[in-house]
Amino acid sequence: MFNDADCLRILDAAMSTTADMAEVFQEVKESKSVSLLNGRVIRAGTSYEAGTGIRLLSGTNCVYVYSGDNDIDVLIGLAKDAASAIKSGSKTDIMALTELCRTSKAKVVIDPMNVPKKDSVDFLRQASDFALSYDPLITQVAGAIACGKRTARVINTRGVNKEDTTQRIRLSIETIATKGGEKQTGRVAPGTMRGYEFINEYPVIDKTRECCDTAIRMVNAGYAPSGKMAVVLGNGFGGVIFHEACGHALEATSVGIRNSYFTDMKGKQIASSIVSARDNARIEGEWGSYATDDEGNESSDLLLIENGILKNYLVDEIGARRMNCKPTGCARRQDYSYAPTSRMSNTYICNGESDPKDIIANTEYGLYCSQMGGGSVDTSTGDFNFAVTEGFMIRNGKVCEPVRGATLIGKGQEILKNIDMVGSDLKISAGMCGSVSGSIPVTVGQPTLRVSSILVGGREA
Amino acid sequence: MDIKTAEEFMTRLIEKGKAYGFEECEASFLASSSISMDILNGEVSSYESSATSALSFRGLKNGQMGYCSTNKLDDDSIEFLLKNAMENCDVLNDEDPQFIYCDENNKDLYFSQITDAYEKNTYLSFSELGLKLEKAILALDDRIDAVDYLSITCSTGPFLIINSKGLHSYRDSDGISIFAGARATDSDGSCKSGGHYWVGKDIDEFDMDKFLATFKENLLGKMGAKSCRSGTYKAIFKNEAFQQFVSAFFGNFLATSMQRGLSLLQGREGEVIASDKLTIEDVPMFEKALNKIPFDDEGVLTTRKAIIDKGVFATALYNLKSANKAGIESTGNGFRSGSGISEMPTNLVVKPGTKTFDELVEEAGEGIILTDLSGLHAGVNSISGDFSLLCEGYLIENGKKGRPVEQITVAGNFYEIITTIIEVGSDIINIPSGEGEFFTPSVLVSQIAISGDAEL
Repeated sequence: MFNDADCLRILDAAMSTTADMAEVFQEVKESKSVSLLNGRVIRAGTSYEAGTGIRLLSGTNCVYVYSGDNDIDVLIGLAKDAASAIKSGSKTDIMALTELCRTSKAKVVIDPMNVPKKDSVDFLRQASDFALSYDPLITQVAGAIACGKRTARVINTRGVNKEDTTQRIRLSIETIATKGGEKQTGRVAPGTMRGYEFINEYPVIDKTRECCDTAIRMVNAGYAPSGKMAVVLGNGFGGVIFHEACGHALEATSVGIRNSYFTDMKGKQIASSIVSARDNARIEGEWGSYATDDEGNESSDLLLIENGILKNYLVDEIGARRMNCKPTGCARRQDYSYAPTSRMSNTYICNGESDPKDIIANTEYGLYCSQMGGGSVDTSTGDFNFAVTEGFMIRNGKVCEPVRGATLIGKGQEILKNIDMVGSDLKISAGMCGSVSGSIPVTVGQPTLRVSSILVGGREA
Repeated sequence: MDIKTAEEFMTRLIEKGKAYGFEECEASFLASSSISMDILNGEVSSYESSATSALSFRGLKNGQMGYCSTNKLDDDSIEFLLKNAMENCDVLNDEDPQFIYCDENNKDLYFSQITDAYEKNTYLSFSELGLKLEKAILALDDRIDAVDYLSITCSTGPFLIINSKGLHSYRDSDGISIFAGARATDSDGSCKSGGHYWVGKDIDEFDMDKFLATFKENLLGKMGAKSCRSGTYKAIFKNEAFQQFVSAFFGNFLATSMQRGLSLLQGREGEVIASDKLTIEDVPMFEKALNKIPFDDEGVLTTRKAIIDKGVFATALYNLKSANKAGIESTGNGFRSGSGISEMPTNLVVKPGTKTFDELVEEAGEGIILTDLSGLHAGVNSISGDFSLLCEGYLIENGKKGRPVEQITVAGNFYEIITTIIEVGSDIINIPSGEGEFFTPSVLVSQIAISGDAEL
């Protein structure tokens, strides 16, 4: 990391023309990983990367230069080049730097970076050994543990001088069941900002058994029917639907340029009155958390929707300038090779009042999605689609036969209004979110909930 | 980091690697510099310029290959790379051996394809073109509300690989891409988004009129789209959609997937798996490709080969490890991915037929045109081949392109669909994909299941 004086030299060069603000983002990332396939260690890697990004703003226009070359003179040269690309505005002064403030939401007892890889190998072997002897239908088991530490410092011409450290670890176990030509998978992939104690406490055998059971159930399952029906989304990763169909449309990246169906909807009813949702980056030790965002602002616990009313957008600095409001501490980026923008952290639908059992019992016919895969959404039109990785038919208030191959399709703005029951069993799950500023760790979450009608794309008419 | 400094560092690293106890070792260096510009509301809203590089080391000990990478090239980094790669070797117990390779006849390859035209890529040339293009898109039609993204990017960089067996090969590449997307609102308030892209090596070769014509069709053609009745349809995968479709299942053609039992194509080389209309080749030095790939990331010379030859599964793609396991030669498709080497295609080419797109539509008579598939990372089971995807397109009525459709899903199985190809068009396009590009025309299939609205 550079000292304050060097950072100021870069900022000086960046402000040599008419930018109204400049920022230096310095990052050091270390990571290591190990992967097993059927009990054998097939990959083991270690990496180190450091780099610097320099951002200049003039109104809502941005110039961003970055380099993996951390030589101060190279960076001053880059800052000057960047300054020459600023074409409007008037000269602005640089404020005195505050004292460096270090923050973190990591909650680490045992530093994963110091744990020998052999410990991870031994841990993952338990999953392999169990799965391969569990059932003849289980033909393959893959496991991986990856951990990384990232230190990111932000210094800007408004005097901000902050450094945030995140330290994450993620485990994944995937089992494959084979029957004839058919193969289906069961998967768990928890992630956390706790230390290696998370791995030591993880109920690996129980979770591997669940993966095996899912894979076996799905390989034996028939195809899901297609058509419009009631859909009950299980707690946890079911929240991906809210993340995609609503969360992205609340980001200033799209709202700021009016490319979102939630533009100008603040204070208005956008969801059923039993729906409230938050984006909370402050949960200590959680996978999607951080203490200081990538623009140097303090992270927040933001109420997005309260009883169906849109309360807040996710706003970064450029979004704030476009939308004439304040940033909400949600600016994130994959690494120094991306300029930051508004992103989600731990985003979830809050607990409601229904007992999850009653939600099923009150559904005459529909689809119960116990596990969801990924999905995507077009924030200008609201069109979304999601894969159901484990689904069951609901008949007469009971969970019946498993079905595979279902996709949920619809428009984000409609599905929120069609949520008619919200359970009380909120759970959040780790994932990665890809968008304009790269791939970042997030969690999605929700209690069990029901949508009165969604188009299910399956293979059976 | 300049290539000369990297080369000196790598040579030292290899020497020290041998002394450190690796039987063989290798270093590769990849650098990239790029310029990127976004245009929004008549202004350059974002301008980026970058220089990055990464050095990766791998060393072989007792048949195990340990990896470590960094972007810092100093004396401390040599120790960091060697120590961590060795630690990684110590925990590995892969049953299949890996190799550091050198072909005595092709060990000092040099292939530079950066053109003088790259010098034309500047703030000025990009901003002039971008602002003009944004204006032209907005002028296409009154219903267009905004150009939500318009991005022009160029990048270039060298790849150098040096190993303890004497390999010392260099290749580089450059290219420019333009992506633009807009949204339009119909008189009934319904909104659609659509766009187009261009890739090339010379900014002066960008044909704005041609770009705008396709852009207009991609965006405004969708206006007034609604669902259609569920049922089984004859379908044309428009070239872009066919690229998306094949890419989603392409992993099944990789030898490692097959050897791990993750591909139903395991053991089926030489068998008929598709309609005889379908030929897909991997063509590293394809004449029309922007960038040619003379050797892979293991230093193996690449070769032209059919993956599917008139319906017959001719060969999977192999790297050194998977080829050794199969008892054959590598096909030169070993490329770096994380801490390992995976198989990847170079330039994929679906052999075009003779019929134009309109002739395909005419041949279909009644059916559906699929122009865009969504959710490919979620709605497919890449192993079983099952898919269920949100898509957009047009109906085919009386041998002509009919009204636009949306909010429908197309479902089926990849392996079944490729046997039902009746005709392959001549309307070939190129899309960046894998290590190179994917060249494909549109294809007509005899039947596919569509879920839409029962009311229509």
